[in-house]
Amino acid sequence: MSLRAATTFLLGLAAAPAFAESGQEWLARMGAALNNSSYVGEFVCESAGRSERLAITHRVRDGVVSERLVSLSGNGRELVRENDEVVVYLPDQKLAIIERRWGRSDLMGALPNFDGGATPWYRVEWVGRETLDDFGPAAVVAVRPLDGYRFGYKLWIDLDTHMPVRSDLSDHNGRVVERLRFTTLRFDGAIPDSAFEPAANRNKLRWVRQAPQDDDAPGWRAAQVPPGFRLSMSSLQSVAGTGSPVSHLVYSDGLATISVFIQTPVPGKAPARGTTRSGVASAFSTVVEGHQVTAVGEVPPQTLEYIATGLRPAPVAAPDPRD
Amino acid sequence: MTDRIKEQLSAFLDGELPDPESALLLKRLERDDELRGALSRYSLIGAVLRSDGDVPAARQVAARVSAAIAREPARAARLAWLPRPERFTRAAAGFAVAAGVAVGAVLLVQQLPAGDAVTPEATMARAESPPVQSVAEEVSPPDALAEPYVTPPAGDAPAAIPPAELANFLIAHYGYASPLVRRSVGAGLISDDPSQVEVAPPGDAPKP
Repeated sequence: MSLRAATTFLLGLAAAPAFAESGQEWLARMGAALNNSSYVGEFVCESAGRSERLAITHRVRDGVVSERLVSLSGNGRELVRENDEVVVYLPDQKLAIIERRWGRSDLMGALPNFDGGATPWYRVEWVGRETLDDFGPAAVVAVRPLDGYRFGYKLWIDLDTHMPVRSDLSDHNGRVVERLRFTTLRFDGAIPDSAFEPAANRNKLRWVRQAPQDDDAPGWRAAQVPPGFRLSMSSLQSVAGTGSPVSHLVYSDGLATISVFIQTPVPGKAPARGTTRSGVASAFSTVVEGHQVTAVGEVPPQTLEYIATGLRPAPVAAPDPRD
Repeated sequence: MTDRIKEQLSAFLDGELPDPESALLLKRLERDDELRGALSRYSLIGAVLRSDGDVPAARQVAARVSAAIAREPARAARLAWLPRPERFTRAAAGFAVAAGVAVGAVLLVQQLPAGDAVTPEATMARAESPPVQSVAEEVSPPDALAEPYVTPPAGDAPAAIPPAELANFLIAHYGYASPLVRRSVGAGLISDDPSQVEVAPPGDAPKP
């Protein structure tokens, strides 16, 4: 080995970290920080050519998770969550919508265990360290999808706080679909209840409640789902703007989720067909057996189409003649 | 930014704004970041619509800004009375405005995916609000960790489901969304979108 080659080799050794960093370990640290931290901050959400600035207040106290998202665009809209109840305040429309899932404490669950086989359709990669202008050094971890049915994630995790201060959502080809980045973040262990009070006058809003009515009631199932997706919840539920309860199915691959809504036909109303996008989420609508089917989720539109077009009424069990 | 200013910007880019108003607009552009950003976006929309994504067309818009700055007689006279260093600074600021428009327009045009159909709606959605700095950062990645930032069109086709209905379904879906994107779903629900959320018929129980 020449002197020059030896020098290069030694310099390379010196630059390498003392131990190999693991993407899974950093995701576990991030999950713990997300579950246990109380903080106040602002972030920017960029998607589909739009950029939205929001304020967030997040508190974990005695096992109760409270969160308030406020749009800073001036429209006064807010989303306030306390455990399994979510209220969306739309003062510009003089409206508040409550979504509550009684008894479903698993709602808003934690990140899956990437090390335990819960997400076999993703590959976790340690990317490296990068210095962000607003937060300094961060650990960068990628969660890459193994096929085109789901999106991938790239996360910048703050070295000190283990909080994800930036995340990119990408499609299978690596194109960034959405970016979320914090601009300020401050930890606060004494956030008062008043911090979760909406700015809008509650008494001047019209209140609409959305809620499940009956678990496991819908007689519908997807006859085809992409690899790795499984039915994780089904219920009948009321949805604002619909005259009758809607069947709601949720499919998940351990990380991404898809909600499928089945509505009975409304006389005189033209059924919707095709794809719509709202920020990071997409929707695909079609008609199956005369019912309006809409699949919604943070997955590529073709995944939604695949599930929605394969939806079928579940066979009704024939009565036992011995009864 | 008022509607009047927006109309002035549009007329300026079309070459239809009277000279006195152009002069005032240019002065305002020098000191107003938001206005410069709007000019970039408007120029992008115009350039893309006129040229189907041709970058040179975007540069032509910037050239028009430069030419207008150079033509401004009042500005030239003011510059002549200024001390030499300040004269240089002001002139540089004028060129910076034009360059900013050019860079913004060119970078935004470059981010359109190849082969992607450019509809007016999609173009508007792309140009509506992405910060130029963010796009510029991605076009020239600072290091190997950066990836190209491609913001896809807001809608590949006319909305299949009314935005109001979609919002209602998203609220129902919110609780099940992946923890990694739940905030993004929430942000979409309260974003400054012109859509109206459809409400249920009267008779819903009010919350105390």
